[in-house]
Amino acid sequence: MKDVDAHLDPGDVIEVAGVNGAGKSTLLRLLAGLTQPSSGTITERPAVVGFAPDRFPMEQPFTVTSYLRHMSRVRGGARWEPWAERLGMAHLLGLRLGELSKGSAHKVGLTQALMCDPGLLILDEPFAGLDADTREALPSIVTELSEGGAIVVVSDHQGGLRHLPSIRHWTVVDGRVKEGTVGQRATVRVDLPADEVRSFIARMRDEGYRVHDIVTEEQP
Amino acid sequence: MIALTVFRVAAYIRSHRVYQALLFMLVLVAIVYGSRAPKGAETSVLTDAVVLAIPILAWSSRSLLDTEPDQQRALSEISVGGWLRELGAGLLAALVTSLVLVALTLGWGLALGVSAAPAPGEFAAILALSGIAALAGVVFGALTSRVILRSPAISIIALLLGFLAMLVLSASPLYWLTIPLVSWMKSANSAELTARLPELAAISLTWCLLGLACYAWLRRTRP
Repeated sequence: MKDVDAHLDPGDVIEVAGVNGAGKSTLLRLLAGLTQPSSGTITERPAVVGFAPDRFPMEQPFTVTSYLRHMSRVRGGARWEPWAERLGMAHLLGLRLGELSKGSAHKVGLTQALMCDPGLLILDEPFAGLDADTREALPSIVTELSEGGAIVVVSDHQGGLRHLPSIRHWTVVDGRVKEGTVGQRATVRVDLPADEVRSFIARMRDEGYRVHDIVTEEQP
Repeated sequence: MIALTVFRVAAYIRSHRVYQALLFMLVLVAIVYGSRAPKGAETSVLTDAVVLAIPILAWSSRSLLDTEPDQQRALSEISVGGWLRELGAGLLAALVTSLVLVALTLGWGLALGVSAAPAPGEFAAILALSGIAALAGVVFGALTSRVILRSPAISIIALLLGFLAMLVLSASPLYWLTIPLVSWMKSANSAELTARLPELAAISLTWCLLGLACYAWLRRTRP
């Protein structure tokens, strides 16, 4: 990586794109703290980092449950069960890691990354091999974490988060990071009947948009 | 870090790799304690067994560290909060396993390999050497583990030749240039083990700590 100068704010969602070998994985490893920069610094990284690799290491002698229990203890007793349920893993819990399909193993990787309530979540190709339900659930999970103040960095060839309104787009080219302007934010004020507010908010959140303050006004 | 240590030991046991080390240890004790040592030779026999166990302890430590896939090492490092903690958890898991294996060797020897228990002072010295042997095995295993030596063939050759080199060098007047294994055995054989323990332990611990520092330094560039 060369000449990388970037600032991430709480709540930022970054989509990292680039051709194979451009340096996306290196950038993710640098952000995660797995690789130290040979020059320059990365400062004020959130204390709790979640990382889901593009290939989950399946060659381990554990069932899904025992693996997640161990990782939960390593994380100080983080609760993994709600995430496993949300990612549709109930039928996988008794299986050995080596028996999982690529997509199922990917869900285990996502669960271990999400269980710790991360301040920085790094997802490497999170949509690869996922079933349709989980592909649909992932953008709203990312949006929730972002609204909670987490920084989410996603390397994604498939554009699964592209429709999120708040997303910032980074492109890695020959080890340099370029930021697109597509991800600039805009706030829209919507006027609608009060009895439709709940369903409207739910619909907007389901579609990955952030909903801020709600103001109720009397119509003249 | 303790939770990660437990995770590493659990993976080692559940992968069944631990049985390789147990099998090697069984062969060793069967050979060393094949016939019960006569009275007066107990310190020498027990010390010999501890020294000869070191390559098995190194093998066990290497296997334990190699059980964790590279990508899982990255996940563990992030989960536990840094590479030093991940490194510490791996070494601690290897040390715990080595201590159990060396305790089994000693226990077998005391029960079936000697005619009388050694004197308390000599037994304390044997216990101290057992602890150092476990640490030496961990250091040797760590320095030949996959994260340092990617090729399994080179790793095994390095482990075996390294132990042989250590034996040869420690039999020479330059014994202080390595962990002085042959000096341990000679001292036990000539009833000087207790008297020479401070010197031998100091040299051994120094080399073990240097080895650990070397491993930690190499790991900085081998995530």
